[in-house]
Amino acid sequence: MDVDRNVLLDLHRRMVRIRVFEEEAGKLMEAARVPGALHLYVGEEAVAAGVMANLTDDDQITSTHRGHGHLVAKGGDFKRMYAELFGRATGYNKGKGGSMHVCDMEIGMLGANGIVGAGPPIAIGAAFSDRYRGTSNVAVTFFGDGASNEGGVHEAANIAALWKLPGLFVCEYNGYGEFTPPARHQAIRDVADRAAGYGMPGVVVDGMDVIAVYEATREAVARARRGDGPTLLECKTYRFYDHVGIRGMGVSYRTDDEVLQWRKRDPVALLEAHLADAQILSSDDARAVHDEVRAEALAAVAFAESSPFPEPHELLEDVYDTSLPAPDEAPR
Amino acid sequence: MTGGPVGIVANPASGKDIRRLVARASVFDNQEKAAIVARAFVGAIAAGATSFRYLPDRYGIVAQAIPDAGVDADVAPVDSPDTDSALDTIRAAAQFRDLGCAVVLTLGGDGTNRAVARGWRDAPLVAISTGTNNVFPRMIEGTVAGAAAGLVASGAIALAEVARPAKLVTVTVDGERDDLALVDAVLVDERFLGARAIWDASRLRVAVLTRAEPASVGVSAIGGLLRPLGERDPGGLALDFGSGGVLVDAPIAPGLYQTVPVRRVRPLAEGEPVVVEGPGVLALDGERERVLKQGQRAILSVVPDGPRVVDVRQTLHVAACRGLFRAAPEGRDGD
Amino acid sequence: MTTAEATTSRKLTYVAAIADGLRCALREDPLVFVAGEDIAGYGGVFGHTRGLLAEFGPTRVLDTPISEAGIIGLGVGAAATGCRPVIDIMFMDFMGECGDEILNQMAKMRYMFGGKARLPMTVTTMAGAGMNLAAQHSQSLEAWFCHIPGLKVVMPATPYDAKGLLLAAVRDDNPVVVVFNKRSLGMQGDVPEAAYAVELGRANIVRAGTNFTVVATGRMVHEALAAAMALAQDGLDLEVVDPRTLQPLDIETIVASVRKTHRALVVHEAVRFGGFGAEVAAQIQELAFDHLDAPVGRVGAPFAPVPFSPALEKLYVPNADRIAAEVRRVVGLQV
Ligand SMILES: Cc1ncc(C[n+]2csc(CCOP(=O)(O)OP(=O)(O)O)c2C)c(N)n1
Ligand SMILES: [Mg+2]
Repeated sequence: MDVDRNVLLDLHRRMVRIRVFEEEAGKLMEAARVPGALHLYVGEEAVAAGVMANLTDDDQITSTHRGHGHLVAKGGDFKRMYAELFGRATGYNKGKGGSMHVCDMEIGMLGANGIVGAGPPIAIGAAFSDRYRGTSNVAVTFFGDGASNEGGVHEAANIAALWKLPGLFVCEYNGYGEFTPPARHQAIRDVADRAAGYGMPGVVVDGMDVIAVYEATREAVARARRGDGPTLLECKTYRFYDHVGIRGMGVSYRTDDEVLQWRKRDPVALLEAHLADAQILSSDDARAVHDEVRAEALAAVAFAESSPFPEPHELLEDVYDTSLPAPDEAPR
Repeated sequence: MTGGPVGIVANPASGKDIRRLVARASVFDNQEKAAIVARAFVGAIAAGATSFRYLPDRYGIVAQAIPDAGVDADVAPVDSPDTDSALDTIRAAAQFRDLGCAVVLTLGGDGTNRAVARGWRDAPLVAISTGTNNVFPRMIEGTVAGAAAGLVASGAIALAEVARPAKLVTVTVDGERDDLALVDAVLVDERFLGARAIWDASRLRVAVLTRAEPASVGVSAIGGLLRPLGERDPGGLALDFGSGGVLVDAPIAPGLYQTVPVRRVRPLAEGEPVVVEGPGVLALDGERERVLKQGQRAILSVVPDGPRVVDVRQTLHVAACRGLFRAAPEGRDGD
Repeated sequence: MTTAEATTSRKLTYVAAIADGLRCALREDPLVFVAGEDIAGYGGVFGHTRGLLAEFGPTRVLDTPISEAGIIGLGVGAAATGCRPVIDIMFMDFMGECGDEILNQMAKMRYMFGGKARLPMTVTTMAGAGMNLAAQHSQSLEAWFCHIPGLKVVMPATPYDAKGLLLAAVRDDNPVVVVFNKRSLGMQGDVPEAAYAVELGRANIVRAGTNFTVVATGRMVHEALAAAMALAQDGLDLEVVDPRTLQPLDIETIVASVRKTHRALVVHEAVRFGGFGAEVAAQIQELAFDHLDAPVGRVGAPFAPVPFSPALEKLYVPNADRIAAEVRRVVGLQV
């Protein structure tokens, strides 16, 4: 059960990277320096970090509309991520996808996704392929409490359990689907209760405690790699900011008190307290990690903002994986 | 005949931890818990209970079942700090005591009953198991458990006739007696609470047991397979883990046997202190609860004055002998 | 136009006109209910259902789970059994989630059942690009629905039509898909206070002209009008026709216009290939070939998903400049 010192430091760094990336991204959106809408992951860092620390670059994940944290935790590069948010040619998706589709296929990040609940069916395809190709890789899908009510999620879970696919279903239960709490989305409260119905183990963990997430994932991933099938891992967490952008306090759909209560369990602060207690990382050293990551983020933002926009010809490229002409000509 | 309200605590978090993954435990879903509470309401009312107080949990387990109590029953929530943690149960138990509850019906595992005892040390308990590897509460049908609670609550059967105090382990850290365990207090070689449960026997260091039951699952089973100690036997049992002693194959979680090296097994007299020292984590009734720093000490001892546990079978047996459930004959004159 | 000219009008935004239309529908028929994601408590992520929950309560204005297939199916079943549901699908892109319920159930039930089922239901949704929301939150998929026998499809261009077409859709006894445009939400226009319907299947000549017909749908109507202003300097007098209802299509009005002007261009925001414009162009050629002085032109999005980068999206979405350029090309002027 014990977690190695290096793993703890790694978990910390992954969480800080997400936190800092998102804080800076949020500022960019508020200042209208980046176009479009950002769904920030602040408050939920322990989930992505705790899961991803158990994966290799060959393991795949599918993500959600709230996907920056997943990519950062999987090892995403700040420069290409910010450049994508800015819609620049240097971005991960050449500026064509933006925040809601940011991906890095090379490290197994099969994309953020604008369609709620779209990830799990794709993930079981990756899990199938992992086994089909004879690898020992696993595929992990993240989905929200809101997404848990999409039909495709149930279909994917059923197939995964039926075929004992090497997968992991991670439900990020953050208490809201946009502006509606689960109490008005589903008659049950723990999505993990459904696991028995799919025929897989279901576990609830404290999603603010990265060590708890890490331990549970370690077991679930080991189970999947052994060929024993998928697991439903539900992480109880909270988004500190709004559904889109930063605000999130003084809103109509949740109380400030609720936010403050959850903020007392800030996952980054919780881990830092543990690490200080265990004399693994002093608060000064933790601060240094934040500072270092922030400097990296700011440099990446500068890189992104000074990068060129995609050239017009890019508009019609990448629709097909071929050099044949598209069925239609240039825009009119 | 002195009765009182039935207090009810249903733990929405029980039956969902990592042991579904690392062992073979089942998910205990909250709808099933609500159904059990509903059946318990029916049983309790059939047995004469009229008044109920409950902890309003975030998932509304009890609230969902209230309609089954019928319109005549007096059912009301106690105040909850609504932390969605054991604290809610601790506070509720203290209120049950102050409100004069005759009995407390719990749905949960060892941890849930432990929290009740922290709020009301010798609470009168009808404990239904809805947890994982529970030693303390019993697997029992909700209707029947409710009936037993109802018989005590209505005053038809006196608590003293059918209940006995359970033992518990008191936990004193830094000179402060601040926690307890109903079944086992264990020092494990961990640094964090993490996923809370314990499923790796190689991490066990020292255990103090109130009972060592060979027919149970968990640390109690390790002791039980070496030297059984019943819930009613005096004193406790201490286990020192490690090589140099015996190896025992024990189910440390549902469906999970491990070979556990036990260096020493020793009986404990009532109140005899066992001192354990950090670094490590204290697991109480199967959950990692408290980090002990380097050199920090905890004193563990088994004492006899824990919750008064109602024997459900015996309660109904007494009720049967006394004809408490016989309906009044209907319009049969001249009989 | 079947307007309520006698009643007072006021300026409303497009989004407020939608809410006004829904309010009228809920007021005039107790069998109408509105269901969708975040449309009750929050008033819709676009604000188009604001105030409805307060006025009509949670039995008629319902937040649903994020389950598009389920809620369209709910509408089908409720409509077939006597209700008049309005189901909101937040973004048109999410129609993919409920493809079967729309194309195999909602559209075909009446026909398959030999005319025995009546499906007075309305599906409302938001289409349109230009807000840097990328490929899954920007599409205009109306051609899909026009292609399915059994469905009616409307695309309001103005606040007036938003309310009037919506009410006509709700009153209609067939399933109607109402496609709003998210970039039009803030647009102001005169909207009568009373309930009124804009007749389905009736095009609107939004600008009378003499020597060129532009058929434009949805938000492109305004781009076409802007193009008409610019082209007036070149001696081109554009007639702009807004079909308003795409299915069933008022081809007579369009053909009458072409017979007068002899040249035509069809404009929509959706991808050009296989788009609604192809159908209109084909029908014009079938019905008015002898009147045409040039092939019918088409303006639409290029054959690519909607790109995120503002640099590419601005090339993607048709606008007045592109319409004007295409008009010039059709008439043989230097672009
Ligand atoms: C198919 C589909 N339906 C609806 C939406 C609109 N939408 C975007 S995010 C969201 C809420 C998702 O909630 P949850 O799954 O809990 O994720 P969270 O935002 O809380 O991370 C909704 C309804 C969508 N993008 N896709
Ligand atoms: Mg959520």
